[in-house]
Amino acid sequence: MSAVAQSTAFDIYATFQQFLKDDEISPPLAAILSLAEAIVKSNAGTMFELVQALTDGAEELKRRSQNPISLNAGCELFIAFVTLFPHEADNFAELKEELEQQGRKYATEAISFRDKIAELALGFIKDDAVILTHSYSRVVLKALLHAHKTKRISVYVTESRPRGLGLKTHDALTAAGIPCTLVLDSAVAYVMDRVDFVLVGSEAVVESGGLINYVGSNQMAIIAKAANKPFYALAESYKFHRLFPLSQYDLPTHNPNILSFPTPTGRSAGHSDAPSFATLDATTKGPVRSQTSSSSTERAMSQEQIAKNPGVDYTRPDLISLVFSDVGILTPEGVSQYLVGMFAG
Amino acid sequence: MGPELHTIHGHRAVETLAAKLRRRQVVGSREAALETVLVLRQVVSKARFSNIQQLIAVIRGVGRRLVEAQPKEHTVGNTVRRILHNIREEASSATKVSAAAPARNVYTISKFVLQGQPRKHNAGVPKSEATATLTEDDPNDPDSFARGLKPVLMEAIQDVLDELETVYDNVSKNAKDHIHSDEIILTIGHSKTVEAFLKSAAHYRNYTVIVAETAPSYSGHDMARSLSSAGISTFLVPDSSIFAIMSRVNKVILGAHAILANGGLVAVAGSLLAATAAQAHSTPVVVCAGQFKLTPLWNLYHDYGALDLGDPSSVLGFEEGKLVERVDVVNPYYDYVSPELVDVFITNDGDHPPSSVYRLIKETYDDDDNEL
Repeated sequence: MSAVAQSTAFDIYATFQQFLKDDEISPPLAAILSLAEAIVKSNAGTMFELVQALTDGAEELKRRSQNPISLNAGCELFIAFVTLFPHEADNFAELKEELEQQGRKYATEAISFRDKIAELALGFIKDDAVILTHSYSRVVLKALLHAHKTKRISVYVTESRPRGLGLKTHDALTAAGIPCTLVLDSAVAYVMDRVDFVLVGSEAVVESGGLINYVGSNQMAIIAKAANKPFYALAESYKFHRLFPLSQYDLPTHNPNILSFPTPTGRSAGHSDAPSFATLDATTKGPVRSQTSSSSTERAMSQEQIAKNPGVDYTRPDLISLVFSDVGILTPEGVSQYLVGMFAG
Repeated sequence: MGPELHTIHGHRAVETLAAKLRRRQVVGSREAALETVLVLRQVVSKARFSNIQQLIAVIRGVGRRLVEAQPKEHTVGNTVRRILHNIREEASSATKVSAAAPARNVYTISKFVLQGQPRKHNAGVPKSEATATLTEDDPNDPDSFARGLKPVLMEAIQDVLDELETVYDNVSKNAKDHIHSDEIILTIGHSKTVEAFLKSAAHYRNYTVIVAETAPSYSGHDMARSLSSAGISTFLVPDSSIFAIMSRVNKVILGAHAILANGGLVAVAGSLLAATAAQAHSTPVVVCAGQFKLTPLWNLYHDYGALDLGDPSSVLGFEEGKLVERVDVVNPYYDYVSPELVDVFITNDGDHPPSSVYRLIKETYDDDDNEL
């Protein structure tokens, strides 16, 4: 029990946030690093206590983060590793130190995974390729910048409402001299015939081989499939997540509030501004041009409305052509082989 | 001290095969693979080396030479990769006792991801009983390593050769489980593997084969002749009627020139037509091929007409003098058939869906050999 007391004194979430400040560190890695830190801070004296402390730490992280999927992948990986680590150390303190070292070593190693993936993806990018990507992903950005060194590429990137992270990608690519145009999330079908393939990053790749990514990836994959364009996902192997969602609503991020309808009796804030939208609709039906520039702020969704929308969605494996990861180029089904290797058997 | 110096020994055999490949005197995936094994066996038997890296450099040098001579014969490269893989395995098991001790306690997270849960020391039972441990780079006797290892290596190469020689039998081992009585099978071209497969099933079942004649090579004619002489009821149809007869067909069986890592395949021109027609009618498509056709390449440039082109005179002969001047005649040799169109691969190493081909490739070859 002392282990639990210790872990409350040590704020794992703050540590996690601290690690995340480094732009190179993604949530699963930050989670692994925080858990490694937790090993040092915990005064667990047995393996059981240590694993308990780690599970508690992982729970804590999950509870306090809004989007626990990818950090959970990191936690699971690290805890499974700790449990199965073949230890020869005589005393437990030594073992703890060893495990902590392993966590750190992995995190440093993992930084290079993106370069590896960028190198693998390079083989699939032809000269003069037109690429569509979604939102912001470090690994996609790295792959595109890497390809730019040797090939002429141009990129369409979606705006990715409501967080607008596509703008970040757009700025980074433009700064590097890659021709890049922002497209509306709703214009994906319009642009699809112009692109050679779709390249997306990922929050997590799940056991079915499907993909969890910023909302909008699923529709992009469906449209790509309909247009017969390859849909490639890039994912570092620490994002392989032992989850088997059968639908969007099986994701851990789904909650009853998402997509809920307002109750007709309780006239809440959401309902009261609905008429104002209706009137606005009637008045600005005229010139479409002026409308987009002037009313973009007025027409934005409110925070509550956004809260009713999902942040991530699930893309079925049959829509994904290939998954590029640091362990190699895999078919979506291939991902499960690695997950089974780590977590089953 | 480069690989060039070492290649001199196997030089003539290598150059002869390279020339034959270039002149297309050696064609066909199995033929090319067999010739490659024979040449590599000579090279290894004559090679002088005092550590495994030197030998691997020699083999790679030879492999590169042969692949460059005829890049469209994928099995040449595959065979080289396969032999490299086997040789590494044998060498590591022969030198194991000395190397195993320090390599033990390095278990890291990335290894965990790659290899899964730690196993109980089952590093694979070595095929040979090479009990004497060999030391690399013995300063007193630099040839001792080669002398000790060579018998094991020859055995490893012989394994590859044996596999190639028995490939048809092994592929058609389970033919009767795939073909049922009174079925109508469609095939195209003259694949030796498919031929053996169909003939083997004919021992147990009564069924009908429809062979598309496969213009302009008309290799379907030979196929039909061979099958009917084996007592199989055979129909020969023009390629243009493949779609029309597909509604009557129970199963399409195709041969392959190469199977790519994504599960797609390169096969005789017309295969794509047959596979697409089959998909339209929800007819199963079965591909029969030996494991040596597994190629660690992705479908990258195959969509863009980069496949092999045949002799145009079989499409438009020089007799048509006037026409020849005015038209460009293209006679593509192969089709690229995408993995969605294939239901199963029947190989000498079991039956596999297209999605697990990449895994077979990972198991058969070493990753660092993909680029020879």
